[in-house]
Amino acid sequence: MVTQYGIKFAVHIITNHFGNLVAKVCECLLRRGPLTFEQLVRFTELTKEQVKNSLLVLIQHNCVQAFILEQEGREGLKVNTQYLVLFDNILHRLRFPKFLEIVSQDLDEECVELLEGLLRDGRLTLKQMVDRASQRRENAVALDVVQGSLRKLLMIQYVERCPAPEPVLSPPVEQDTKKRGAKSKRAEKPETIEHRIFEAAVPAEGIRFSLTANSELINNSDISPMRVGENVAKEDSTPFRANFEEFIRRLRHKVLIEKVRTTHDDDAAAVLRAILDGTRNAEKKVKMEKSVPLTLDAIFTELQKTENGRAMTMERVRSSLVLLGCDLGKYNDSYTIELKKIIDSARDEEVESIVLKRYGRDAYRMFRLLSRTDGFLETDKIAESTFVEKRDTPKILYKLWKDDYLHMEKLVLNGARQSKFLLWKVNKPILLEHVLDEMHHAALNLSLRLAYEQEKDGELLTVPKDKIVGQLQQRYKRLRNAWLLLESSLMKLDDALMLFHDF
Amino acid sequence: MPLSSKSHPISTSTSDASSATSKKNHRVAAAAESYTSDNGGGSTASSISFLTPCQVFPLVRMQGSSLKRKRPDNVPSSVSLTDAERVLYNVIQGKRDLGIWSKEMKEETNLPDNVVRKALASLQVKKLIKEVVNCQNKAKKHYIASEFKPSKEITGGDWYSEGNLDKDFIEIVKDVFLKIIFIQKVATVDGILEWVKKNHAFHVELTSHQIEEILQALVLDDQIIEMESTGFGEFASVPAGRVCYRCKNKRGPKGEPKIGAMASIPCGVCPRISSCTPDGIISPRTCVYYQKWLDF
Repeated sequence: MVTQYGIKFAVHIITNHFGNLVAKVCECLLRRGPLTFEQLVRFTELTKEQVKNSLLVLIQHNCVQAFILEQEGREGLKVNTQYLVLFDNILHRLRFPKFLEIVSQDLDEECVELLEGLLRDGRLTLKQMVDRASQRRENAVALDVVQGSLRKLLMIQYVERCPAPEPVLSPPVEQDTKKRGAKSKRAEKPETIEHRIFEAAVPAEGIRFSLTANSELINNSDISPMRVGENVAKEDSTPFRANFEEFIRRLRHKVLIEKVRTTHDDDAAAVLRAILDGTRNAEKKVKMEKSVPLTLDAIFTELQKTENGRAMTMERVRSSLVLLGCDLGKYNDSYTIELKKIIDSARDEEVESIVLKRYGRDAYRMFRLLSRTDGFLETDKIAESTFVEKRDTPKILYKLWKDDYLHMEKLVLNGARQSKFLLWKVNKPILLEHVLDEMHHAALNLSLRLAYEQEKDGELLTVPKDKIVGQLQQRYKRLRNAWLLLESSLMKLDDALMLFHDF
Repeated sequence: MPLSSKSHPISTSTSDASSATSKKNHRVAAAAESYTSDNGGGSTASSISFLTPCQVFPLVRMQGSSLKRKRPDNVPSSVSLTDAERVLYNVIQGKRDLGIWSKEMKEETNLPDNVVRKALASLQVKKLIKEVVNCQNKAKKHYIASEFKPSKEITGGDWYSEGNLDKDFIEIVKDVFLKIIFIQKVATVDGILEWVKKNHAFHVELTSHQIEEILQALVLDDQIIEMESTGFGEFASVPAGRVCYRCKNKRGPKGEPKIGAMASIPCGVCPRISSCTPDGIISPRTCVYYQKWLDF
């Protein structure tokens, strides 16, 4: 789901980081979808060299993925290379400080430095990592030190091997649709091209997070020394990059745990943390709707790893599981938590808070009522349930409808006398997309205002500190406060963007 | 017909009911606050009896629905009516508890204005019809046959009085319920109903349906959470599976909803966000809301 302002914001980020030319290529891909090199040259009206360099920058920073598409034409199989822009990875560029913060909490300073390099340069080979580490110090850093840090990052899956540069996508096999019933059609979600490319490009789990993927071959004495040499050379040139997926998973877990803490209590939060930690490696994707099943014993064992968890009794764990929506069955049953419900509730809270601030307390109550009701409610019914004057209710509902926060339908009944009813509902999928677009718009605005503030009072930064006195000092203070507020607000808003888009 | 404190015959309050209401409201809050600070927010229902004396809640509101109507002494046939009066009466009576607006009456009967006016006045004197306030539009003259009680569509329902939502009363009931739930930690509709009855908290009797309505409004206010009892821990007093209510804020009965990331910046509350563009007349560079926000 990429909204119009999402595209504008992504283009703004790329313009800030890599300049106008790269941004132009990026915008073209964002608006038109995957394109070939020739198409890009034609649409952007840039030279071949400019497009090539822009693509190289975008690929280096993991914002574009090339792939080979096999298409069946009249003259047989046609093969061409196309470029797909990775919208999510562009927005992740905002989140680099958050990713580094996670690593600094979990691992040592060397690992943070290594990841910093990967985030700055997009992708690095082991040799480049060693060179980079050595540049910062007087003495050269030993290969095994860097290898050690990289191994730790790979183990915890914060870093991965880069995907294949040009995976091949075969034309999709057409299935017999006649036999499919309506039910199966509904259940199957169409596979996006992005998903297919990801499947084809990402190495198998064992190799993706391994430092020496061919170590088994190297250790195998049957293989000739020449082959071993080839493999070592190949290993040296393998690029690594930050695994954004794992960082987003960690941030999602954090949001889930904190949401449970505010809704329920610390115990429930500790139990959810134990479940998520215990099943972390079993999660197949970020947006898990339900947690992976875990037995009570396993949850308890996981809890005992933390100080707070050790204080919990089995009774408290069971009580928290019920609070989290689990049915307590037999002792050895497995438990799963509806994670999507928790995320939905956090999203609702964010939207409701906008409604409260923008439209007032009565509108807030009405919106919450409609948001919790499946289907339509009639104006008078809404007035009665929310204790709002019946004559004021339509005006408030109309305002919400006008700004796309509500969906309305007119019902005309032809009885003895014609009567007209207005029915209202919250159309969640459409509303969430609308709010996300507004959020992207707001993030773009914050970023533009920040740039404007820097531009307006930029000369202040060149003045030596001892000369900043009197009125100048006041201006300097204002500028600093404005920056702090704008930057912290952008980071907070980015949390909400992740909640709506990535979680 | 519900009557407000302003018109209740047994009201002990002064003529200025609204100011009295707000004073009482403060007294309720003050009493509850002093209790929670003195007792550390204890949980027994009996210990909150200090909240109960009628003088703490002298707000009087008559429960209209329980009043007995005085049926008209004369049935229409035994009353001598002019033709116009008879036609009008039939139209009004035919609308039963919904009544009818005078303008619609004219349209239906095709009678001239002055005839209708005169006939309505006469029917009122003969106590065959009565004028009622329509909550949707108080300016509309709405009539109903005397033998009917105006429907919810006309009066607005139990929480309306003379065509107005009795907001003061609703707020007081909400406040009291919130404090009960905070003190009891986990409360049920039956528990609250029992408490209200036992302590004669209000001069009107609240039904469990009305209590539920107020609790649902508190849920919509995000002041309380509706949940099913787990039967464990603090829910031990409520059988597992029963619907119960808990205060959202753990530190006090009242809490403010969390302000989200979007709502804390100017764009989140901007009424003009749809007209705002990077290079337009309304833009983040020229935005007056930003100017105000960043004015340190």
